[in-house]
Amino acid sequence: MSDRVGRIVTGDELTADTEVSAEVCIVGSGAGGAVLAHELTARGLDVVMLEEGGYHTRREFNMDEAWAYPNLYQEMANRATDDLAIRILQGRSVGGTTTINWTTCFRTPPRITQVWRERFGMAALTDEVLRPHFEALEKRLHIHEWPLEQINQNNRKLWEGCEKLGYDHKLIRRNVHKCANLGYCGVGCPVDAKQSMLVTFLPDAVEKGLRLYANASARRLEVSGSRVTTVHAEVRDPATDKPRGVKLVVRAKVVAVSGGAINSPALLLRSGLDQGGKVGRRTFLHPSLVSVGIFDEEIAAYSGAPQSVYSHQFIDRGPGKIGWFTETSPIHPVVAAVSFAGFGEGHRELVRKLPNLNAVVASLADGLLPDEVGATVKLRGGGDARLSVHYDLQPSHWEAARVSQVELAKIQFAAGAKQVVTLHEAPVVMNSEKELGKLDSAPWERCRTRLFSAHQMGGCPMGSDPATSVVTPELRFRGVDNLFVVDGSIFPTSLGVNPQQTIYGLARWGAQFVAGSVA
Amino acid sequence: MTMQTSASGPPPLSRRSLIKRGLLGGGILLLGGAGFLGMRSTRRGKAPPRPLSVLGEDEYAVVEALAARIIAPAKDAPPLDEVAWNVDQLLAAADPSAQKEVKQLIGLFESALAGFLFGGRITPFTRLEPDEQDQVLREWQQSRLLLRRTGFTALKTLALAGYYSFSSTWAYMKYPGPPKDFHDPSAAVWKGGGQPRPDSPGVFKAEESEGTFPEVEAATATDAGGRHAP
Repeated sequence: MSDRVGRIVTGDELTADTEVSAEVCIVGSGAGGAVLAHELTARGLDVVMLEEGGYHTRREFNMDEAWAYPNLYQEMANRATDDLAIRILQGRSVGGTTTINWTTCFRTPPRITQVWRERFGMAALTDEVLRPHFEALEKRLHIHEWPLEQINQNNRKLWEGCEKLGYDHKLIRRNVHKCANLGYCGVGCPVDAKQSMLVTFLPDAVEKGLRLYANASARRLEVSGSRVTTVHAEVRDPATDKPRGVKLVVRAKVVAVSGGAINSPALLLRSGLDQGGKVGRRTFLHPSLVSVGIFDEEIAAYSGAPQSVYSHQFIDRGPGKIGWFTETSPIHPVVAAVSFAGFGEGHRELVRKLPNLNAVVASLADGLLPDEVGATVKLRGGGDARLSVHYDLQPSHWEAARVSQVELAKIQFAAGAKQVVTLHEAPVVMNSEKELGKLDSAPWERCRTRLFSAHQMGGCPMGSDPATSVVTPELRFRGVDNLFVVDGSIFPTSLGVNPQQTIYGLARWGAQFVAGSVA
Repeated sequence: MTMQTSASGPPPLSRRSLIKRGLLGGGILLLGGAGFLGMRSTRRGKAPPRPLSVLGEDEYAVVEALAARIIAPAKDAPPLDEVAWNVDQLLAAADPSAQKEVKQLIGLFESALAGFLFGGRITPFTRLEPDEQDQVLREWQQSRLLLRRTGFTALKTLALAGYYSFSSTWAYMKYPGPPKDFHDPSAAVWKGGGQPRPDSPGVFKAEESEGTFPEVEAATATDAGGRHAP
């Protein structure tokens, strides 16, 4: 422990305008910011962190969605693309999305780092360079494979269906310790078993001197010449989440933006740092489709580790086609009710089968085809509080959506589902694999079927070409010497796997550049 | 495969000009403003149980009416009495610009003028019979226009979130609720300041990560299927 005394300060403690200084100011306490803070404080640096969301701990994690969504999610879990076609699930509290994710861990796939090296000039980013970082992270975060005998019925259906069809299927590695297998990772772990940033690197860094301000929303970076000098934040009332008219100003030698995809580009745009329109472009979402299987036996998809089985059978579909990865989704009442197809009696009858439902998910690995541009994050007019996320899904996305929906249904029928339904507004109901053809004639358009994003990536892509990248291969924001971006927004493409471990790894690797910039 | 966007034939000029304005943030929502052309007004039901924060009383009545059709509760379901009020509470926490858009959307949905332009109907939604209301909902849900499907998605989500976030619906859904005896509402909150970190069931200290892992600790409260003990 260093001599410096670290603290977590919440919005209620800041009653008057406050100015602090530090060697490094990190904006955001999620996967990127937390690992970075830990690495910097471990090097003896003086670090201040700003987190827009509140400081919520297991004391409040009551496993009730009605509490969790307003307190732990961006826009109360209503964040979405502008047309509401894709619902975006993203965390907003100390620990960021790691506080509410489903604990699924993958190292960055070698096929992805290869793309980043060959197409985006990230020559230094080899698997050998990343390996020691991943090994250290896996130890600290207790990342290990979840045993087959502990998987829940929801995941067992995916396992069995893939087994019957001869499809690839493996067990997922999870960042948990003494996990009680409750199934409520997505609303905050009530027993601190999830080794999120909230219970690992953030408290570790606070013990090394980190000053973490929660309820502190960074609104603007002040730039003078080619240097950022100040971060301007507004303090929010923890009880209401409204601004309370108190300013927090941080003067720092170096600033790292770690607000995650969507919010990091937004902060940069609010600060006038748009790099001629590059910032916010190439945002990727792993657009995800859900297939609901109805079983005679109880599945209880709200109970037990939410994700423990995956299939990469269709991740590489050859040139010109978008691949996907298959996992499960837990089914909790509120999110199920707002997601299920249709309205009225049909909707109600599905909701009432909750314990017998199984959900499998196909997440499209977007951004890997040469002509893909992804989503664009912009500011909305009339105030700076709201963002625009526009995603013009292309025929290649809808082709993958349709084919993946067929494959998900096949897996569920192979596992014994009596019926499979999609999230189309005009419900597609299939009673056996003989009816899979219904999916070919179903409408594949925005807001005719429901899509989700649990993984937000890109918007500030790293790379060697100034024409296409927002940050350099050393994660430095182009044109501002002491500004870095360290989070999922630096991915040049999506990953084709859940992103948390890649963000941890890149932050641990990238910390050397941030530290080296502190003169 | 059906391609993105909509119209198989050119829509009437009036609609086309509406479409170009876009929905959220666009001018079309202003159509939802109250009281134009002296058309029939919103039919109000019971007064709100408590003062409203965001919705006006007409908007409240529209939410009540559409929630009744979207949720369509069975006889054994918890009542819908509090849904519109709960929607108002959900909106109260939202950004003011989002509140404004939702209010405009509700107005547009109810609006006789918009109903006429979209579907040749001049009766406000709240004054329609239930089967006619379902037809209007289906028209929005299945519309060729993305902006109406977006609007339907927003209204449906609001109504369902307003209802199913009540734990009184859990039994109706056969959802057992969260497992007991794991959440500790008196757990200590640590804020650093030189104080030692309090004990926690899952805490895993940095020092421990130097050793090898113990095999996965089969949680005592679970069975092999991952279901927690009742």
